[in-house]
Amino acid sequence: MPIFKKEQSFASGGLILFVEVPDAMKAELVLKGGGYAVRLVAPPPELRKGCDLAVEINLVEKLGIERLLNERDATYVGIAPLKIGTSELLQIVKVTDFGDWMMVRAGNMKLTFDRESGIIVNTSGGGCPDIPRLHAELIGKPLAQAPRPRDIGFTLCALMLDRALEECLILWNGGNQ
Amino acid sequence: MLIAGTVPIKGLPLITGETRGEDGLLVVDGYHLPCAQGTGAMIGAALATTSYLNLEPPQTVVAGDLGRGEGSRLIYDYLARHLPELSPEVLALHYILPDITLMRKVCQSVNRCPRKPIMIADAASMYVAKAAGLAAQFDIFTPDATEMAFLADPDATHPAYINQHLFDTDITQTPRLVTTACQQRNTARLLLVKGAVDYVVRDGNILATITQPDVPELEAIGGTGDTITGLISAFAYAGLELHEAAIIAARANRTAGKFAQATPATRVSQIINQFRAVFKEHLCQWSGVCYGEGEDYNG
Repeated sequence: MPIFKKEQSFASGGLILFVEVPDAMKAELVLKGGGYAVRLVAPPPELRKGCDLAVEINLVEKLGIERLLNERDATYVGIAPLKIGTSELLQIVKVTDFGDWMMVRAGNMKLTFDRESGIIVNTSGGGCPDIPRLHAELIGKPLAQAPRPRDIGFTLCALMLDRALEECLILWNGGNQ
Repeated sequence: MLIAGTVPIKGLPLITGETRGEDGLLVVDGYHLPCAQGTGAMIGAALATTSYLNLEPPQTVVAGDLGRGEGSRLIYDYLARHLPELSPEVLALHYILPDITLMRKVCQSVNRCPRKPIMIADAASMYVAKAAGLAAQFDIFTPDATEMAFLADPDATHPAYINQHLFDTDITQTPRLVTTACQQRNTARLLLVKGAVDYVVRDGNILATITQPDVPELEAIGGTGDTITGLISAFAYAGLELHEAAIIAARANRTAGKFAQATPATRVSQIINQFRAVFKEHLCQWSGVCYGEGEDYNG
């Protein structure tokens, strides 16, 4: 049962580059909180290390974006015009019904929770070094009280797991309204 | 057999040495490691296999890493400097933060080994091998269906970036994805594609499919992909042909899930605990190698 999510469209043209994935995740939060339309993407191939993340912005908003990032101590390498070759993050999620449990898959990551209690019973998939830690941190916790992978993880796998958790929360809240 | 990977223990230095089991934990160089999702599950499955076959236990290179990459860089550096002298028969890489430059150095080090090890990569190590254009240097990849789509996508450097139409396929599309990925030289020589149907693929040709026992709950259990990689590493180390190692690893993992009466809430350690019973009941029939438990597998 795939669930399609529509992205907000915006004029782009610029790319914020980072050394580390968590910096990109923080910048996205800061900018979205500041009302900017941004999205996470892969940097161009020549700038990739293998587990990279950049933030696509509307280049005309560069000045305000820089100011906001600096005010919030968000670390970034620089802002460049968008080049051909960036890739969008996967937006689609899939849900598997195991009867007493529901599993949500986002990209290579899966999160499973107990439908009655809302407790996370397993996470699987992925292979970046923060995934085993997130597995240990999330299992046994209610969905709404579990730490967010995007807050304590560092990699694209963690970001995908966060998407899965987000979808689980929607399913859980929908099922309990 | 050398298994290299990170574990989620803050501050754990780089440790190396033989692995042994103790009260459900793994012990390397005096450090106790959990047999949980990740490198621990992979080593645990490999150790269960070598123990049963009375083979030398896995040698391991492990470092603590919570995701920032410190432990991963220690492992890359250690392998780049020491692989020629270690010259393992099997080298399995797992849970190491992708870094194209450092993976290239490791592969250069492999090329200096007196004999090339059987090279196995799963998860992040597979991602970076493909992203770096080094996939053809590997003997075995163990992707799941999503990761197979990633290997088939010429532009993706991580499964988070695969093209949506590739993600929106199910395991039955695996043959098409395999063909695409092989044409682009984005795969290892042998693939074990894990899913509702497990596909064993060599040089782009599907050699076998495994569907039984059918335990769909395994997909939800964190670490059951890691155990497959540990099993296939150990069976390759035992001298089985690589495709035989893959087939038996897939069967053993499924059967262990059945023996454990797995649910989506089962932990991977419960699966690992079943391997001895699985081997005792089925390994002789599956492998054609039959001997009494505790006897020397090498005769």
